[in-house]
Amino acid sequence: MQFAFLQILKKYDTSFFIIASAIFLIGILNLYSGTHMDSNMTLANLYKRQLILYLFAILVGLLISFIRPKALYRYSYAIYIFNIILLALVLWVGDKGMGAKRWLVMGPIRIQPSELMKISVILALARWYSGHGSGTPLNLKGLIIPFIMAAIPAIMIIIEPDLGTGLIILIAFAVISFYRNLKLKTMAILFILALVGGTTMYNFGLEEYQRKRIVSFLDPAADLKGSGYNAHQSKIAIGSGQLFGKGFKKSSQASLNYLPENHTDFVFSVFNEEHGFFGSLVLIILYIVLFFRFIWLSSAVVNLYESIIAIGIMSLFFSHTIINISMTIGLLPIVGLPLPLMSYGGSNLLTFGIGLGMATGISNSRILF
Amino acid sequence: MFSEEEIVKMHRERATLIGNAVLISFAIILARLSYLQILKGEQLYRWSLQNRLRKEVVRAPRGMVYERNQELLVDNVPRFDAVITPQYLKDRKKTLKKLAHILEMKVEDIEQILKQNAYQAKYKSVLIKKNISRKEVTIIETENSKVPGASVETFISREYLDKEVGAHLLGYISEIQEQQLDRYRKRDNIRYKSGDFIGQFGLEEQMDFDLRGTDGHEFVEVDALGRKKIHRGSDYFIGGVKGKPVVPGHNLKLTIDRHLQQTGYEALDQKMGSVVALDIHTGEILAMISRPSFDPSRFSRGISSKNWDVISNDSTHPLRNRTTQEHYPPGSTFKVIAAIAGLEEGLIDEKTEYYCPGKFKSGRRMFHCWKKFGHQRVNLQRALRESCNIYFYKMSTLLGIDTLAKYAFSFGFGKKTGIALPREVSGLIPTREWKLKKSGQKWQRGETLSCVIGQSYILASPLQIAQMFAAVANGGKLYRPYFVQEVFTNSGKILKRFEPTLKSKLTLKKKTMRFVRKSLFEVANHPKGTAYFRRGVGIEMAGKTGTSQVMRLDADSLYEKCEELPLKERRHGIFGAFAPYHDPKIAVAAVIEHGCSGSKSAAPVVEKLITAYMKKYHPKKHEKIKRRERGRSQKTATL
Repeated sequence: MQFAFLQILKKYDTSFFIIASAIFLIGILNLYSGTHMDSNMTLANLYKRQLILYLFAILVGLLISFIRPKALYRYSYAIYIFNIILLALVLWVGDKGMGAKRWLVMGPIRIQPSELMKISVILALARWYSGHGSGTPLNLKGLIIPFIMAAIPAIMIIIEPDLGTGLIILIAFAVISFYRNLKLKTMAILFILALVGGTTMYNFGLEEYQRKRIVSFLDPAADLKGSGYNAHQSKIAIGSGQLFGKGFKKSSQASLNYLPENHTDFVFSVFNEEHGFFGSLVLIILYIVLFFRFIWLSSAVVNLYESIIAIGIMSLFFSHTIINISMTIGLLPIVGLPLPLMSYGGSNLLTFGIGLGMATGISNSRILF
Repeated sequence: MFSEEEIVKMHRERATLIGNAVLISFAIILARLSYLQILKGEQLYRWSLQNRLRKEVVRAPRGMVYERNQELLVDNVPRFDAVITPQYLKDRKKTLKKLAHILEMKVEDIEQILKQNAYQAKYKSVLIKKNISRKEVTIIETENSKVPGASVETFISREYLDKEVGAHLLGYISEIQEQQLDRYRKRDNIRYKSGDFIGQFGLEEQMDFDLRGTDGHEFVEVDALGRKKIHRGSDYFIGGVKGKPVVPGHNLKLTIDRHLQQTGYEALDQKMGSVVALDIHTGEILAMISRPSFDPSRFSRGISSKNWDVISNDSTHPLRNRTTQEHYPPGSTFKVIAAIAGLEEGLIDEKTEYYCPGKFKSGRRMFHCWKKFGHQRVNLQRALRESCNIYFYKMSTLLGIDTLAKYAFSFGFGKKTGIALPREVSGLIPTREWKLKKSGQKWQRGETLSCVIGQSYILASPLQIAQMFAAVANGGKLYRPYFVQEVFTNSGKILKRFEPTLKSKLTLKKKTMRFVRKSLFEVANHPKGTAYFRRGVGIEMAGKTGTSQVMRLDADSLYEKCEELPLKERRHGIFGAFAPYHDPKIAVAAVIEHGCSGSKSAAPVVEKLITAYMKKYHPKKHEKIKRRERGRSQKTATL
């Protein structure tokens, strides 16, 4: 064991943490630029908190990277079920923040079980898929149980209500299932089902404010100061950055509060206003490198459980990134998902830290065994 | 079944597909970014600039108004209001609670105000509390982020330092009305716009063009919450990027004396009436007071329609300037004109005597003297001094109405004095022609009798009466009354200076004027004069009392005690005078509505005003006259 630990250290795969830290560095500078002018002192000092939260998330990630994938495999269902219980607790006695029940408060610790659920679901799905009918293409029948495993927490989270996180879990399920050789015919059937389900959900399953966001996405000019306002101001911010941007700390939209939530949902807008098209090109390349690092890892490992986890975590990062960016540039309605490693927020940083740690752990074990 | 290798290969294929999907997604995003940042970049950049700069109108301060001794009469005082802009209310409950705490109000009350204004556009601010203190302003400004939606608005309030005193002369300002806008815009399209406050009365209205400046504007950096951006650690506002500078209004220096205004105001007390004082050598108005009055400052912030209804429907007409907008039968003060007419036309001389038995019959109508059993034999001096009606009745039979009117016109009656105040009345002097035109009826002899003692058709404003006494005192010169001396800028540069305007100079015999002045001096200084008991000390007042009939009275009620009549039926008391007799300086006229007698009600007001004037402007002369008067009374005592 002593010997194995030293060997791990010697061949430790730092690539994940390095790429992530590069993005985080851009993120924290951007956060500083977007909030340091704010008259609200807590907001103005946000970047300091973010740094501490990131260091904590990396520390957790580092610890997790030393957990062997086999141990993870063993506890996958237990972690999943424990997380489901936490989610139920949130719905029952959760703390309200911003009009939604998301938090579980235990003394000084505040946790957001829906964030952890993103990881737990991936673990459970990976275990299921790697153990059932591995090798055969996936058909509709084979999808039923994994779907239930993903749908239960997704629905619980959407009820909170947190539509974005619920969708992330469903997307992770879709990506993982696709990776696990989902038949093309089955995919076509599912697509139709999703379309019907989506329409029904829009009409009956959504809160008024969520529906408004979708409407305002379709016609943002309709009510500029109302629900279309955020999207409109974000587009102005991004567009006004032009090719090279207005320069660091020069964002007028953000510093003048035209961008709401400019430290969480709209960090990308601030970044674009200040650094323009070329700046965002650099940022996007960094994200692509990170995602391909995950994909490469999934192809490099032989163990199906491990490669599914790599793909699953990639899907988490990717879906957050693509949804967040799309909503700031007016390609998707505003759903309130953070941009990984850029947006302020302890819970999602922790999730990403755990994800990075797991991927590193898998990478390390590949070298080792 | 697939081999292990095949399975791995299959997954790798899927991984490649996923990788492609990632690349395609980002390609779409980059396409969209290049659309926004490259194609539409310039337009959105312009939008972002407009977003942050808000054009704000900077109201030009109105000019200040000073009196003749440089004392300030009208000032601009910044006032602060706490307002809420509903659009920016993020956390309604929190803001209201916090604001209520700062302003020491109840949350429910603020809620109520917001509800009342719920119909107006959300971006318009709602006034929560007027005139908040500097301390409250500071708290709201510094706690800006804790009370989003609440802010402080500055308002330059026009304040009239002496409140009700002289309100009618100074006037008031209020928001321009729809129908006024067209008219004013024809004069000046740039400086008058909807929402402006303009002078609506008095000096403010008349001199609006000089008093109002030209509004400017500045660009202020604001955030999405509509807050002006404040640099942390200081209350320095970013702004004024490129704007149009404000041109402040011009200041005025008046001929008015603040102390005399105060004196006149206090002398009138709670009575309905007015008093006006003129410099006889220039026509400068020294004091002009009308009561009941109002506080013009109340209009400066926009008066509520309820308060407006109260003040405009008040039966005592507090908004009317009784010195220029009201006319009365001048009563016996008009006998001065009749006497001059008689003397100048050579119908009578100072020795001409008539017998006064107390009544006089003309046609079938009986005319009375105020003294029931008559003055017996009277000459002109006594007729003026003791105000004998019969003397003038008898004289008028020789005079005729048209000749009387000619002299009245020449002393400025029957036409506007030309004072720069809006809505001046012209009064009325009847002629045969006028009556024919008006009613189609011929002039009757009896009517001349009423007119000669200043009743019937004859109407004159207090200012016209004062103007006449000024002309009598200065030897027949009629100046246009005015009260603005100078228009000057803030840096002290004089733009306009107003000089006395001589309207006309009467060619009257010196003897006539001397005689009339002497008679008027006796009115207040002969023991039998009607104003002897109001003669004052050290002022050498020369004047004439008058009583103006409110309604036609029969013989019996003429001798009833006026004070016992219902207020509405009581006669108006009038007194006009100039002083000092030996070297006249000032002419004053006062009318007290329903004051019964000129000597009891109006003369004390005039006397107080003249005394105040003498003390302030001619203290040496005042003392000298006092000594002379003391000597005379001692002589009388020793006799």
